[in-house]
Amino acid sequence: MGEVAVLGLGMHPWGKFPEKPLNDICRVAVEAALADANIRWRDIEAVAAASSRFSGGKGWGLNGNDIVEDMGSTGLPVYNMSAGCAAGANAFSVGYTMVKSGVHDVVLVVGGEKMPKGFIQTSGLEDPTDPEYLRQRCVGLPGPGFWALLTKQRMAQHGTTEEDLAAVCVKAHEIGTHNENARFRQLFTLEDVLNSNMVNDPLRLYEICPVSDGAAAIVICSEEYARRKTSHPIFVASTAVATARFDDGLPRGLACVPGTEGAHHSEARIAVAKALEGAGIGPKELDLVELQDNTVYYELAFPEEWGMCEPGESESLLHAGETRPNGRMPINPSGGFLSFGEATTAQGIFQICEVGWQLRGECGPRQVPGAQIGMAQSIGLGGNGTAVVLKR
Amino acid sequence: MTQAETVLSVEGLFAQTASGPRLLGSSCARCKSAYFPRSESCHNPDCSDPEMQDAQFGPYGRLWSVTTQGYQPPAPVITQEPYSPYAVGFIDLDDQPLRVVSRLRTDSPDEVKVGCRVKLVLAPLGLDDEGREVVSWQFEPMENDE
Ligand SMILES: [Zn+2]
Repeated sequence: MGEVAVLGLGMHPWGKFPEKPLNDICRVAVEAALADANIRWRDIEAVAAASSRFSGGKGWGLNGNDIVEDMGSTGLPVYNMSAGCAAGANAFSVGYTMVKSGVHDVVLVVGGEKMPKGFIQTSGLEDPTDPEYLRQRCVGLPGPGFWALLTKQRMAQHGTTEEDLAAVCVKAHEIGTHNENARFRQLFTLEDVLNSNMVNDPLRLYEICPVSDGAAAIVICSEEYARRKTSHPIFVASTAVATARFDDGLPRGLACVPGTEGAHHSEARIAVAKALEGAGIGPKELDLVELQDNTVYYELAFPEEWGMCEPGESESLLHAGETRPNGRMPINPSGGFLSFGEATTAQGIFQICEVGWQLRGECGPRQVPGAQIGMAQSIGLGGNGTAVVLKR
Repeated sequence: MTQAETVLSVEGLFAQTASGPRLLGSSCARCKSAYFPRSESCHNPDCSDPEMQDAQFGPYGRLWSVTTQGYQPPAPVITQEPYSPYAVGFIDLDDQPLRVVSRLRTDSPDEVKVGCRVKLVLAPLGLDDEGREVVSWQFEPMENDE
């Protein structure tokens, strides 16, 4: 079997667009991906779309159908994939599998989102059998509090300081200012971050990614098809989807067994390990990683949990500049969720776009020099995890 | 002034027993996995022949992590009026394989430290929109912390 190529990448910039219909936001991303691939809508053989519970999709997560109706109802198959915030990369993995197996030659992967105001409420149900409802009704722990508990535990275990946390945010915005698709493009000083409101001790307002609107689209195709269109295709080295393990010690409802896993987010660790194995490389061989930084904590914890560096080493790598685009272990050269905000189901696809642009060498001041292989990682409600590795 | 009516945050999750407050859950007799709230099935993929039993958990544990809820979260979270930030923690129970999410009962949420000893209590979270006092399980930092 031949390789699967990433032929076209497209995005609508992230921001808040209350007056703009979701279809219009998605169409910008789709048309950009088609133009980048040098193909027409009629050339798309199937759509793999991220399902949203926040916007579009006729209330059923039929977001791919919305896009097909808007772009032109050619009768093509649509696959709507639901995996919380991991839906975008989950859809990419399904699209990849279909091209790899020869079912389709050219597939559009797409996610678009308009988010409601405020931090994400992970469940709208008022149902005493729903663990998320129970957690809010009986305790009161919204998403940022959950991240704060992980962060506080890291501080106790590794001596991470509030200044370390703020430095992740400063670095993200320094890079994000160079990304025309990013929503927050201003520079922050360490002092700015440390003076922002405490949301959930130890996490401050600027250290938590807010919600955004945005859309991203990718055309993937068979190697043979790609060779007819471009002399320098980017290829998919591997994709992986995982769910959380029973014993990872991270209470997603009211309680869990304390855990033997080592990685708190086992769904992320498993997906990354599978993707690296599929790509035939070790964690230290990645030239760049786009990881899901809903908050600064993840940029410190994840590289350690995946074996990219040693436990407790992330802070020193950060301060030494090694996680910048020109460092030894570049993390989130896009500027990350902290610079974009989270347009949940579009997010995983934006990450893959960034890895693709990096491998093409099109990223200007935020370019990782000579990037050959990179990974995008996402996690979502329900213990969903994904990882995608692209290579030149 | 009349005493406020009291309701439980959710029925069936906790109780005042003869030996004090307890969380009500399940335990698998085979693999010893603990569940809160109750579970009809054992989620341990390595457990070959699950046998679920009702179990009571608590009252002692150690704080695995803690945060202070700096802003007033929206419903269905029950808070004090006027709002005052509260502490939430993950607690590892003594002698029981369970890590529990809980609000902490303390007047100084910012002073509570990871690793401190805590004890289960049943205490009000605040008033619901009908003015009733909503009681839930909480953990209280212990004075003789060791
Ligand atoms: Zn069992």
